[in-house]
Amino acid sequence: MGINLLPIEMDEIRKRLGREPNETEWRVIDAVWSEHCSYKSSKIFLKSFSIDSPNVIMGIKDWQDAGAVDIGDGWAVVIKVESHNHPSAIDPFNGAATGVGGIIRDIISKGAKPIALMDMIRVGNLKIKKNVWLLKNIIAGIAAYGNSIGVPVVGGELSFDDTYNDNPLVDVAAIGIVRKDKIKPSIVDKAGLKLVLAGLTGVDGLGGASFASRKLSGEDEIGAVQIADPFAGKIILDVTLEIADKVEAIKDLGGGGLAVAVTEITNGLGATVDIEKIPLRVKNMNPSDVIISETQERMLYAVEEKNVKEVCEAFEEYEYPCSVIGEITNEPVIKFRYIGKDLVSLPTNVLLNPPRFLWPIKNTKKNVEEKIVDLPLESAIYTVLTHPDLVSKGWAYSQFDYEVNTSTVVKPGDADSAVVSLPNGKLLAIKADANPDMCAEDGYECGKGIVAEAYRNLATVGARGMVAVDHLQFGDPKKAEVYYTFVEAIRGIGEATRFFNIPIVGGKVSFYNENNQGRPIKPTPLIVMAGLVQDKLLKNRVEDNLYVVSVGYTRKELGGSLLSKIFKIPSQAPKVRLQEDLLSSEVVIDSINEGKITFAKDVSRGGLAASLFSILVHGYGVEISTKSILSDTDNVIENLFSESSGRFIVLTNEPEWIVEKSKSKGIVASIIGRVNKKTNILTIDNIDYNLKNIVDNYFNFLEEVMGNG
Amino acid sequence: MIAIIKFPGTTCETDVYKALIEAGVPTVIVKYKDFDPDRYNGVILPGGFSFGDYLRAGSIAASTETMKKVKQMAEDGKIVIGICNGFQILVESGLLKGALLPNLKLRFISKWVYLKVIRADTILTKGLDKKIIRMPIAHAEGRYYVDDIDYAKTHMVLQYCDENGNISEDVNPNGSLLNIASIANEEGNVIGMMPHPERASFKLTSIDGTVDGLILLRRLGEWA
Repeated sequence: MGINLLPIEMDEIRKRLGREPNETEWRVIDAVWSEHCSYKSSKIFLKSFSIDSPNVIMGIKDWQDAGAVDIGDGWAVVIKVESHNHPSAIDPFNGAATGVGGIIRDIISKGAKPIALMDMIRVGNLKIKKNVWLLKNIIAGIAAYGNSIGVPVVGGELSFDDTYNDNPLVDVAAIGIVRKDKIKPSIVDKAGLKLVLAGLTGVDGLGGASFASRKLSGEDEIGAVQIADPFAGKIILDVTLEIADKVEAIKDLGGGGLAVAVTEITNGLGATVDIEKIPLRVKNMNPSDVIISETQERMLYAVEEKNVKEVCEAFEEYEYPCSVIGEITNEPVIKFRYIGKDLVSLPTNVLLNPPRFLWPIKNTKKNVEEKIVDLPLESAIYTVLTHPDLVSKGWAYSQFDYEVNTSTVVKPGDADSAVVSLPNGKLLAIKADANPDMCAEDGYECGKGIVAEAYRNLATVGARGMVAVDHLQFGDPKKAEVYYTFVEAIRGIGEATRFFNIPIVGGKVSFYNENNQGRPIKPTPLIVMAGLVQDKLLKNRVEDNLYVVSVGYTRKELGGSLLSKIFKIPSQAPKVRLQEDLLSSEVVIDSINEGKITFAKDVSRGGLAASLFSILVHGYGVEISTKSILSDTDNVIENLFSESSGRFIVLTNEPEWIVEKSKSKGIVASIIGRVNKKTNILTIDNIDYNLKNIVDNYFNFLEEVMGNG
Repeated sequence: MIAIIKFPGTTCETDVYKALIEAGVPTVIVKYKDFDPDRYNGVILPGGFSFGDYLRAGSIAASTETMKKVKQMAEDGKIVIGICNGFQILVESGLLKGALLPNLKLRFISKWVYLKVIRADTILTKGLDKKIIRMPIAHAEGRYYVDDIDYAKTHMVLQYCDENGNISEDVNPNGSLLNIASIANEEGNVIGMMPHPERASFKLTSIDGTVDGLILLRRLGEWA
């Protein structure tokens, strides 16, 4: 078992302890100080996020498993995002499945009932067989776990880039709901509480946190991957919610296993754990392995002695192991004992305070020399609109039980956001957005851009963003150009969330995402945003003769767009003009509340062309005039494929109302065309383009590639 | 009173409960070990993954003491309904003939489907002869098969169809024999169905505003 600590960290430990740690202690420190668990390369910058807002109940405080916001009527929404990138690269089924299990346990550790999942998947080129295998098993793993525990997967993302060839990104977000006064902490505030562990500990996932904090070695790393047991996960879910009232704190066992969970739950106090009391899945497990095993479906509860019996009885009804393994102590030392002998005895404050790292930053981007874009329109339309990023993801989401809970109001594929109903009758919209191509061009604009896009996506169903969590996925932070983009992206996210007044209540960082030649993935920060439908909900509907109105200015900034990626067009990344995003979103929300529109789509991936295409797949035709697009360019290609921010298209019977409404808000809008009954025909400036093949490709592409893969 | 049985791994008990309340049917969720058949006029086995569907969908639940009691209820002429995993449990325990095999595409399928009512003599479908209704399915093992085609023809309650009621292989989501989505025993008091009526019982979450599931569930009112 290799230790992943840097020499400088090992010296620091020796200095602080005044002695050489024993081998088991090194393994505990390796887990607790891993990048995965300690955020040592990111924490300084994460502090820059806006976390203050009157509705935040639980924000990014250290060692809380998830954040929570007040949604009124005594209810709180709990939200969390995580990834399982490294395990999924080795064993996609179990890697993805345990990702779902892990995030669900984060939600229930707040005492909240999980009500929705989202999965954001990025894999390499599907022309490579291995990527087909990865994707197929990632989706099957998410389905196997999510379906079995009865939590609907209501939305997500599925996109493709060659930089994910060896290192797929498997991100999962979850939403939970809980009575505001029943939220559980993940940390304790007094000694004497018993530590109760539910679940069996086995030999899977040994050193997983450390494994996730380095590059994939290409060697046999299967032992660091956890195995999923969704049935056990369902029992943990049901019983935890049943006993939440009887416990003082709940902590999920995730990365770093007991070593991390026990250390973090103490909140600076101490703990003593007797390893022989831990129920094991296999006999004769090495006690040191028990401490760092990442076997799934385990939870740690801090319980008053008088309640221990009742807590464990609830598990016994399901024949699920539950036992007291130790207790919280006043002495601030983390002790793991085996039959009376101390194996580990480390001061809590040493474990909880790893050195922080600031790595060098370096901007290696050169200024782009812009060229006049000269492409045949037909080939641009065909190539962009058949790109796998834009096809129907029905193949994936039809494998998820997205109707369970009878609360999924806007279903996967129906709109830019998913919408679920809450117990207080309100409707919650949820969306996740990332934009790796734009981030590769400009981390700062991209950081702003993904926040703005999520905000716009929520507006398309009539919701206003109210809370977000972030997930930052990058290559090796010790590489100056990677760390530069990381710092830039955080700056962008921080600035945009402050602008929209959206608190970030949690997040996750995943470094060391590289292919086997050491080339990093495109920087992939991701935002998950949730918000309440303000008044009316829009369920998209296309009808003949509706007017197409474009809200917001189009700019000729093609950098990071799908078009420039495919045709390798050098161009500036768009400047994200947050005010335009805010104002155009307000126009859309107002139009929904006034009943003026039947369909809303933000302009993002694939530009205006892709937004118009989303009307065509409803079986209609669309006719537009590019002269009517309010824009800083006459170039048709730039008008149709720019992904500059702040824009929507809406369908309406009262186009003038939308234009006037926009003006009254201080933003522009124009009527650019009309819906007609000419199925599959996109008419641009009086020329008909028959997109039947592209529409067919939209519905069949993934079925065909994955069905036979 | 209708009992909704929760096995470990059952996921749809609350949805069925909410739908029955919406339909005005008195009901209660009962943990499988606590189930006392004498207290109920009928029982629903809801969907989910009982005992993780380990071994085979529904097979472990089928061998519980609880299912012996359910069998007795069926013989006494009380109502026994299995939805999705509940249907799988009913065939695994022999209350209904046949088997539910893995879908032809070998993967989980979540989808709204059209269904044609073939038998109007069961508790749930009384008076709905030839009616076309809409409900969602969500399963990995829903391909109904029985080696007795006459039994299948005479006992099928619902068939997958298109919106006009045409029954063809194109609209068969899982490869079921004769597009069968639901069958019942001869008496019509034991019914198994892959579609989820409880998920087609609320206007807000319905795909098109229809609540055909509720129409079926309401019929339990007179028995409960």
